[in-house]
Amino acid sequence: MSFREKTHWAAFIGIFAAFGWYFVAYPWHIIDTPAGVGAVAGMLVPVTIIIIAAMAATAAFFAIRAPKEVYVKEDERERGIHLRGTHLAYYPLVLGCWANMIAIFYRFTPGVYLNILIATVVLAELVRVGAQLYYYRRGY
Amino acid sequence: MALPFTNDIRTLRFLAGEMTQGDLGDRVGVTRQTIAAIEQGKYSPSLEVAFRIAHVFGKPLEAVFQWETDTD
Repeated sequence: MSFREKTHWAAFIGIFAAFGWYFVAYPWHIIDTPAGVGAVAGMLVPVTIIIIAAMAATAAFFAIRAPKEVYVKEDERERGIHLRGTHLAYYPLVLGCWANMIAIFYRFTPGVYLNILIATVVLAELVRVGAQLYYYRRGY
Repeated sequence: MALPFTNDIRTLRFLAGEMTQGDLGDRVGVTRQTIAAIEQGKYSPSLEVAFRIAHVFGKPLEAVFQWETDTD
């Protein structure tokens, strides 16, 4: 498994775990209040820190174990894999945008808009990284 | 989906002093994993990489990659 694939696994697990916690722990009963918007901001800070810290620690761990792999340049197969993953992530992004537009038409609250946007970005990221991991495992 | 061509990279590596996938990758400018994917017929390399592989072994392209005759 290449260094890049290992860091992809770290990103996938980190995003899944951190935002999994976010969506489970979010106080949904106050989503329509100003406090619900504040909760989004307050919870995004630790979630972001956890993801960055987990990815940095994993990258450092594998870089120390195999320093040579860190400097291996991305080749054409890996570029293709990354492009295919990014392409697939476009679809959940579009769906999320539409969901948010519909929420605005129906005059939901800012807390709802924010959570739809966060869910959209998280889903798109999971699709992107997940697809890339799938292609890495399959060979292309 | 299976590629419409096969290759003899594994044999050629063996004949070239048991060259490793990593060594070939370094000389071609791709990762070891990419050489493995090409060898196993999972990845179709660009024309440039195909020529580079053939060049490493000092062979023409057709000696490394063979089009399957029963494939359109």
